[in-house]
Amino acid sequence: MRRALLAITGLAASTTALVVLKSAPGASQVAQDLPAEAQPAVPGGAAPAGAETSAAPSASAAAPKPSRSAARAPATRPSPTSGARTPSARKTSSKPAQPTTRTVTGPVVENEYGNVQVQITLSGSRIVDAVALELPEDTAQSDQRSRQVDDTYSGTSGLVVELQGADLDTVSGATATSTAYRQSLQAALDRAS
Amino acid sequence: MGTAISLDLADDLPRDELDRLADETFRWLREVDARFSTYRDDSEVCRFGRGELLLSEASADLRLVLERCADLWAATDGFFDAYATGGFDPSGYVKGWAAQVASDRLLAAGAANHCLNAGGDVRVRGRAASGRPWRIGVRHPWNPMATCLVLAGTDLAVATSGVYERGHHVFDPRRGAPARGLRSVTVVGTDLGVADAYATAAVAMGAAGRSWLDRLPDHPHAVVTDDARLLHSTNLPLA
Repeated sequence: MRRALLAITGLAASTTALVVLKSAPGASQVAQDLPAEAQPAVPGGAAPAGAETSAAPSASAAAPKPSRSAARAPATRPSPTSGARTPSARKTSSKPAQPTTRTVTGPVVENEYGNVQVQITLSGSRIVDAVALELPEDTAQSDQRSRQVDDTYSGTSGLVVELQGADLDTVSGATATSTAYRQSLQAALDRAS
Repeated sequence: MGTAISLDLADDLPRDELDRLADETFRWLREVDARFSTYRDDSEVCRFGRGELLLSEASADLRLVLERCADLWAATDGFFDAYATGGFDPSGYVKGWAAQVASDRLLAAGAANHCLNAGGDVRVRGRAASGRPWRIGVRHPWNPMATCLVLAGTDLAVATSGVYERGHHVFDPRRGAPARGLRSVTVVGTDLGVADAYATAAVAMGAAGRSWLDRLPDHPHAVVTDDARLLHSTNLPLA
């Protein structure tokens, strides 16, 4: 929870990712508002009070931003599932009359570290929960660093690891335990010789 | 340490002589285990770690290991850290060092063609009995019965550090958490203790370990990343 909120705040500051909000009952549906009774993702709309107060500022920071990044996203993602990810059905969260609970999913936004997608739960116009559906694998900093490594590395360009070679005399590997040894190629070689 | 040791003596020496060389090698490695194991309460390392043994009372071997661990700590920007897990644990250096010493002794005793494998750390010299250079496979990180690379040579120290074994972690001493990014690192050199320490340090560095290894001209390397890419130096002695 706390991590997701941090992600939202960071995005709002840097990439204007959360501009286009749409509800997504299923992964392949286009955005549409959901009635309260068809809402499985939220446990009765009961959320801790702390979440409301801390989540609200992020949403207000994100909402009025222009949708530069979001509009760019579908052009670089010509995937068959782009229906769920396209921000074409642009429905900003309109304020409902009574406090119904809805789940709204943002578009997948690419930034230089990877894809980000955030889902928020609203009770009325208040955000009561926020979940990151997709985040870059590792921290942004380490990803950037590993790409810099790729760019400067003088070795090979990176093959997919595959099985190789027979006719060996020995095997190097971290067989630190005797269990690992018994299950290892080295044990087979030792038995054979 | 519970480590499996394999020794292949390829010299055409009398059977008695080969037996004697093998016995001496294993006696040395058992002695190292008794003195340096962190699993034995009465080992010299444990007594030193608990403060029961002063540096001035320590054996020459322990003082040498302490000195080398300090050198390696400096050479690896602190990522090879014999104190990474809290107490003093030089196992990451001792295994390779002990095998290197054993190989040096075999060479001095006239067994110039041998292959010693101490828990996956390999020291080869000369040629196999078939007459060709030794062929060393590098374990496939996701398949213990397969290899992902084959090296060959007549004077190589090959050490592999990996995090593919269940429960086996390499600690990143800076973050205090298990390292991520590199699944397996193999370093080739001439000193097995150094090669092993470099491999362990690179795993601890994570993705940044590759560029660090890349700046070691005398130590060609191969890495397998967490997303299953295999990269290696262009001067790696491939078979």
